[in-house]
Amino acid sequence: MTDEDDILRAQLALDGELDAQAQLAFERELAERPELAAVYARHARLRQALREHTPREAAPVRLRARLEKLGASAPPRRPWLGAALAAGLAGFAALAGFEAGRARRDDPALAALVSGHERAVLSGQPFDVASSDRHTVKPWLAARAPLGAFVPDLGADGFALIGGRLEILDGRPVPTVVYRRREHLISVAELPLSQTGAGAAVVEGYHVARWRDEERAYIAISDLDAGELAIFAERFAKAAGNAKTTAP
Amino acid sequence: MSEDTAKRRFREIVLPHLDDAWRLARWLVGPEDAEDVVQDAAIRALGALAGAAPVKPRAWWLAVVRNTALTHARKRRGQNWNHANEEEAADAADPSPDAETALIAQGEGARVREALGRLPPLLREALMLREIEEMNYREIAAVTAAPIGTVMSRLARARAALARLLKVDHDG
Repeated sequence: MTDEDDILRAQLALDGELDAQAQLAFERELAERPELAAVYARHARLRQALREHTPREAAPVRLRARLEKLGASAPPRRPWLGAALAAGLAGFAALAGFEAGRARRDDPALAALVSGHERAVLSGQPFDVASSDRHTVKPWLAARAPLGAFVPDLGADGFALIGGRLEILDGRPVPTVVYRRREHLISVAELPLSQTGAGAAVVEGYHVARWRDEERAYIAISDLDAGELAIFAERFAKAAGNAKTTAP
Repeated sequence: MSEDTAKRRFREIVLPHLDDAWRLARWLVGPEDAEDVVQDAAIRALGALAGAAPVKPRAWWLAVVRNTALTHARKRRGQNWNHANEEEAADAADPSPDAETALIAQGEGARVREALGRLPPLLREALMLREIEEMNYREIAAVTAAPIGTVMSRLARARAALARLLKVDHDG
């Protein structure tokens, strides 16, 4: 009854695999030939049924934990941050500079976070929750991201808290805290440990600082210069360390 | 040194696409075996990553999962599992009146999942990669090591079989 060719073309159109010209021709034909429209509608219904009833299930937590262990580096965590703090800020900056050469340019998570920061800055709306009060920002993020977020007060160091937002990486919410120093914004994304490497990098013209502690990996993105961003990273890491040792 | 490199690549390539890998394995070998398959695949991947870095990381990792799953399924099902069954059972899979009655008796969600379960594995795989993982034909071809023409024909047959099983061709 229905021509094989109609079925094939309906699928190509539905799957977005026709080139622009063929797609336009197909759409014109769709309007003129009810039998083709019926074939197309049938495939669209099938797609809808499939997507509706086969949820995008996440891997079991147990499996994820095992594989994270498999991919964990042999030496204990935070080797370079510990060394850098010990060597002082000069060492921190020097080491960060050294690491920059090795930062992966094709890290998709990093690229996505940098675009998120850029979009946030350009839109003039860098946060989903605007507040200089960490007791507002922290619960807002905690309610939306399973990991919650660490939101230190760095006002005394010259980094004013201005809000928080959510980035989405691989379908998961990533809590992101936003600070300001003079007219420069800094976005700090907090990720599970598996998510990122360490070290400084330059991505799309933004400076990036990456570090980790026992629980999380952090990525700070800003148009601050690398030295000031390194200071920010050091203060943030120190505040996080203090908060953990004083927490009940 | 190369072990560190392998682990770093593993964290950058395998872990971010773990959910995709899990779903693919689940559709290929079923939920009971999917966990073992993904873990075996991860061990293989870690070994391979000590060498060169893959050009298309996600497709590469999913291809490792897929090969592990197919090896696993072939071992498990012995002589019943061969390429002919993987692809060609599509027409045998559906139009018996019993099968239709059984399907119609259930709710829509259960019907869809059961109908999917009746598709031959390679057709189901193509369909799931397209509809659930939202890959384009080129990506599906890379993961399944099949020419694009084969991907198109598998998709067409999968959809035709599924439409028959679910009676989507009848209006409504």
